[in-house]
Amino acid sequence: MAIKIIVMMKQVPDAEEIFIDPVKFTLNRAQARGIINPSDENALECALKIKDQTGAEITVLSMGPPAAESAIIECMGRGADRGVLVTDRVFAAADTYATSLTLAASVKNLGEFDLIIAGESTTDSGTGHVGPGVAEFLGIDQATYCTSLHIENDALVAERDLEDGTEVVSIGLPALATVLISSNIPRRAKLRLKIDALRKGIEKWDHDTLKLPPEWVGIKGSPTVVGALKIPEERKRAAKRITVDQLGELVKELGGMGLIKTEEEEA
Amino acid sequence: MEIEEKLSVLNYKTDKGFEHITVTPDICEVCPDYFCTFACPAKCYTVMEGKLNFKYEDCVECGTCLFACSHGSVKWNNVKGGHGVKYKYG
Amino acid sequence: MSEFDAIIVGAGPAGSSAAIKLASSGLTTLLVEKADPPGSKNVSGGIMWGNELGGVLPDWEKDAPLERYVISKGTGLLTSDSLISVDFRSRKFESRKTGYSVLRAKFDQYLANKAKSKGATLVTGVTVDGLALKDGKVAGVIQEGDEITADTVILAEGVNPRVAISSGLRPEIGDKDVAIGVKQVVKLSEATINERFNIRGNSGFAGEYVLGFLKNGVKAGGFLYTNKETISVGAVINVGTLRADNETHSFEIMDQFVNHPFISPYLEGGKMEEYSAHLVCEGGIGSVPKIYGDGYLIAGDAAGFSYSNGLIIQGINYAITSGIAAADTVIEAKSKSNFSSGMLRGYEDRLQGKYVLKDLKKFRGIEEVTWSNLAHKALPDIAEETLFNLFYEEGIPKRHLMEIVLSATKKSGVKKTDMILEAYRTMRRM
Repeated sequence: MAIKIIVMMKQVPDAEEIFIDPVKFTLNRAQARGIINPSDENALECALKIKDQTGAEITVLSMGPPAAESAIIECMGRGADRGVLVTDRVFAAADTYATSLTLAASVKNLGEFDLIIAGESTTDSGTGHVGPGVAEFLGIDQATYCTSLHIENDALVAERDLEDGTEVVSIGLPALATVLISSNIPRRAKLRLKIDALRKGIEKWDHDTLKLPPEWVGIKGSPTVVGALKIPEERKRAAKRITVDQLGELVKELGGMGLIKTEEEEA
Repeated sequence: MEIEEKLSVLNYKTDKGFEHITVTPDICEVCPDYFCTFACPAKCYTVMEGKLNFKYEDCVECGTCLFACSHGSVKWNNVKGGHGVKYKYG
Repeated sequence: MSEFDAIIVGAGPAGSSAAIKLASSGLTTLLVEKADPPGSKNVSGGIMWGNELGGVLPDWEKDAPLERYVISKGTGLLTSDSLISVDFRSRKFESRKTGYSVLRAKFDQYLANKAKSKGATLVTGVTVDGLALKDGKVAGVIQEGDEITADTVILAEGVNPRVAISSGLRPEIGDKDVAIGVKQVVKLSEATINERFNIRGNSGFAGEYVLGFLKNGVKAGGFLYTNKETISVGAVINVGTLRADNETHSFEIMDQFVNHPFISPYLEGGKMEEYSAHLVCEGGIGSVPKIYGDGYLIAGDAAGFSYSNGLIIQGINYAITSGIAAADTVIEAKSKSNFSSGMLRGYEDRLQGKYVLKDLKKFRGIEEVTWSNLAHKALPDIAEETLFNLFYEEGIPKRHLMEIVLSATKKSGVKKTDMILEAYRTMRRM
């Protein structure tokens, strides 16, 4: 029997179209259009690769406003079999804790599964909390910062990209993995699959579906408080064009700035 | 305002898996006019040290180079999968 | 049995108008667009002329994302030192609106979503590779090896129609079919725009200019349109003369226009928020291919439907009209279960009955007028010289106007006979 994979996907405002309000220091997302969170595209691609090799039934699970439907359809157009959107006003303004809890409850509601794959972090908050949070709430093992995933002998074999090297781990199923943006090149949707996806449609779940205590979800279930926001100082690009014979000067210059060590210093 | 600076305000979703335009270096090497470098509104074509350089990442998909090149070097395809330039005004 | 009654390639004004009409009439319609969201790869100078959209969306003026209606239409000649212009403003445009500035990323998305809400299947972010053929007839589209079938395919791919070209339904585009359009969207406050263009409320200005200051015979036109809180400014560049020169960069022409002493004050202090480029359909009737055949129709820019005479550039209205006519033809074909070339010929008849093909045929050769030496070089120089001498008080005996014009003409170096000939051609073709 084909294994069951859940891909957690978030629709995020296109980071290229978000601007910081120079007066209020807030993020202006009004102009930004929704896209699939980039590393979630890689998560889906990992799932699709497993499906290509050994067969799998892939469900895309997303939480967000109704407009996120188009992102789920796109995932189905690439090869996911089923789409579920958890959407309700009471889930709004959830922090990573409440979001993880709501998603974990949604996973339970989906029934049996073997593997959950998510992007390492989202471009609109970048905490990387939600994947691990879901694994914790479900009480399953997890592998983070993955660049490739395989199923071998009923276990997940994951390559993890760490600061000082690559680690290969094998963990029993069911498990959760978060995937880095560099792990693969996501495939494109196909017309045939997108038409089929639009005909099939997605499932929309709300508060009544999950039946969680109201104080566990949305803003009520969110212990995080944002203290202050600071904008990092913008740095000028330091790139400059040089010719080969200017290379020596550049080395001296960078050495002088303490950015590189020259041989003389090392000796 | 330099053209590079103008292009930097654009939103591109570059397709790392597919170059929608390719040029044929053998043809470009002996090009008598390099009209592509004058016609392309996004300066994707430049000549450096006698060699033609082309970068598809900056392309705004206008189609000019397709017929600007009268030597048959440019192979032009539509981008795929919603990649490429994404205008917010248009 | 086909999967869809109609597949439309391209969700621009032509494709979406056709889809709205088809879906509203109950036909199963697939609208495929390579951009995601629809409109995000589309560019036009920015004015939609006419009221064609009413044919499919009666309430379009209330809910479409329109920027400003044109109350002031400018036409000008620019030389290095001067601007000679006519600015026609009329309160008559208030009660009978004829042109709206639009920004296509928003406008085309609105149209595509309308098609979706009427029941069309809208697929975005997918590029059609080619046409599916069966017994020599178009029977659908091919994408990544999959065949999606339809009784009729409407090709509304725009000015660079790859599917129509690769299928041999129209020739490759050439220097004579198109011009290179470059554009910038400049952000300014609504109040500043109103003040600079002497307009108020949601009324707007649309100006087109001959760029007579360009060197080495390069020819281009400029445009300046007001949106609510932005200005669309750009240039439309003739390919043949740019090629002949082979020294001027297309993007430099844009800069020369926006930095012109009488254009730059409009844009001063504004933030350049978008730079874009797109081909402009310019070839006239000579660029129009056979627009129908067994199982297919071609609409909008893909069919070469546009009109430009130097004073005005139109395209969106032709796209919408042709899209609706294509849909009407498919609806009739469906009712008779006949999708042959003979049946779909009704499309051409419909366009003959409307202004689309009538205009193109009536103004055969207009593109030669638009890009004539008279309009781009002689006229700006002569007008500048004439008006300067007319208005400049030198404290010497005054001359008759005719004398001034003749001496300006002589100075411009244009032969009198050539000028009379060109003027005659212009009058006849315009």
